[in-house]
Amino acid sequence: MAINAPIDAMADAADEVRGGWWAAILAFARRRSLGAFGALIVVVMLVVAVVAPFIAPYDPVAVDFSAMLARPSTQHWLGTDAFGRDVLSRLIFGSQTALLVGFGSALLGATMGAVLGVGSAYFGGKIDLYTQRLMDIFLSFPLIILALAIVAILGNKLPNLIMAITIPMIPRCALVIRSSALAIREMPYVDAARAAGFGHARIILRHMLPNVMAPYLIMVTAFLGQAILLEASLSFLGLGVQEPTASWGLMLRGAAVDFAETAPWMAIFPGLAISAAVFAFNLFGDSLRDALDPKLRTL
Amino acid sequence: MRAGMGKYVVKRFFLMFPTLIGVAALIFFLMRVVPGDIVELRFAGESSFASKEQLAQERARFGLDRPLWRQFADWMWGLARLDFGRSMWTGAPITEEIKLRFALSLQLSIMATIVAVLLAIPLGVVAALRQDTWVDYVVRVFSIAGIATPSFWLGIVMILAMLIVFKWLPPMVYTPFWVNPWQNLLQLIWPALAVGYRYSAVATRMTRSAMLEVLREDYIRTARAKGLVQKLILSRHALKNAMLPVLTVVGIEFAFLMGGLVVTEQVFNLNGLGLLFVQAVAHRDYTLTQALVLLVAAVFVLVNFLMDLMYAWLDPRIRYR
Repeated sequence: MAINAPIDAMADAADEVRGGWWAAILAFARRRSLGAFGALIVVVMLVVAVVAPFIAPYDPVAVDFSAMLARPSTQHWLGTDAFGRDVLSRLIFGSQTALLVGFGSALLGATMGAVLGVGSAYFGGKIDLYTQRLMDIFLSFPLIILALAIVAILGNKLPNLIMAITIPMIPRCALVIRSSALAIREMPYVDAARAAGFGHARIILRHMLPNVMAPYLIMVTAFLGQAILLEASLSFLGLGVQEPTASWGLMLRGAAVDFAETAPWMAIFPGLAISAAVFAFNLFGDSLRDALDPKLRTL
Repeated sequence: MRAGMGKYVVKRFFLMFPTLIGVAALIFFLMRVVPGDIVELRFAGESSFASKEQLAQERARFGLDRPLWRQFADWMWGLARLDFGRSMWTGAPITEEIKLRFALSLQLSIMATIVAVLLAIPLGVVAALRQDTWVDYVVRVFSIAGIATPSFWLGIVMILAMLIVFKWLPPMVYTPFWVNPWQNLLQLIWPALAVGYRYSAVATRMTRSAMLEVLREDYIRTARAKGLVQKLILSRHALKNAMLPVLTVVGIEFAFLMGGLVVTEQVFNLNGLGLLFVQAVAHRDYTLTQALVLLVAAVFVLVNFLMDLMYAWLDPRIRYR
């Protein structure tokens, strides 16, 4: 697959030209069944998150002390937690939190990173050098450490949480986008735009950014899984989403461990949800990367 | 040792410091750009009412009433003497807090690395040799699953499985290795497995792609052509050359292990640096948080330095200046 990737990518591109978006999607599904499988899970998750209030059997925050730690049954398909809250309903609503934080921070992080990367490449010289040094400093921390440090500074309200997950992603994206943008800077159309007297902002936003779309999309999909995992980790540590909001990471915290032996459903299902979501995004992202830009390596 | 290496080592060594000072400055000022100040935030976070005098007193206690540059200079001077200051939460010297927990986290990191390498190299090599067969797919799905599975959940599931299947729990009280090695390993092997599996995922993928690349080199074809047995080609020609990028990934991941420890130590109730970091953030202990963030960065910079040296030593094609 890796060796054939460039040929596949060319074929994909050719298909896209011939039959438009729909044909491109079909071609992607045919050639990269694993990626399409991932995309399918993502779509199902999105649908579930949107229609959550209609399909969830119970209110996700409704406490029911008559049904504490109930086994999975016809009434509560996946059992209840220590407060008698329905695990399935909390999982369904948890997908809203995961996707909101996931898409929010992945899009924000990749976009800011892209602007920074393209800008850095466009201006070059001292600006480029200093931006790169600053990015290097940010890159010397693991994602979660930086995110936690930002939570310590900003606190953990939801917008701050999204910010805390976004910031560590910016330099990672800027690095990748910059290397693509360096080549684009030398293109004749950028020279032409400059000769036409356009301002820096216009050249960066209108002429260069659209041409780093491929690495941008790859970074977004790569970040989505990481952001969801990060949100789950922070919430698990009690430093992310706060009770009683439904979040998969939060569901694994506290009681889930204490009652692991008597009520294992509390610990198992949220973890499966996190893994499935991240797995799906990664499968899709990997295939998308192979299709769009096989040379690009993202970890 | 080749000529010029000594000079390179010295030069590379001193190159670490600008980065570290940059990191320190960044953290220091990040912690202070918050609207309001950290003392107020701390009290607001604890939702207790504090009078102006109390706030001023608290500020004076941590020297926060002095000009910013003085604070920074003091902090840097302290760092130069390996003195991180005092924790805002416990009041104990941070150096002591770290010293207390360092051994556990280091041992866990080393064990997780061993687990990761033992998983990654055989799996990656097999996947590369059987490229595009079911073996390859199984290995790749296994490794993508490793990235997708939160290590804290894996930890919970492990504990759960041991409880339900074996009616047994790993010891919960930490025993240093030199006191009782068996007891120690019995406790730490589980978190090491949970972190190591996740960590192996990236290394497996790297081993696979590096092997695929090397197996297409001319010298491998030459070795085959001269009739060398497959085993020798693999061990002496392919693996040796594929290991450099793998080594890089393992090194970077080792430097980043703290990220994995943060969640795993919580699950296994291990009093290591990861748990300390989480507690520092939860208590809004800014001095401790900034010290630990700096420590993580320092480990990263140091590992990078060691890896550069190893590269220069292992790969004769690399010219050092």
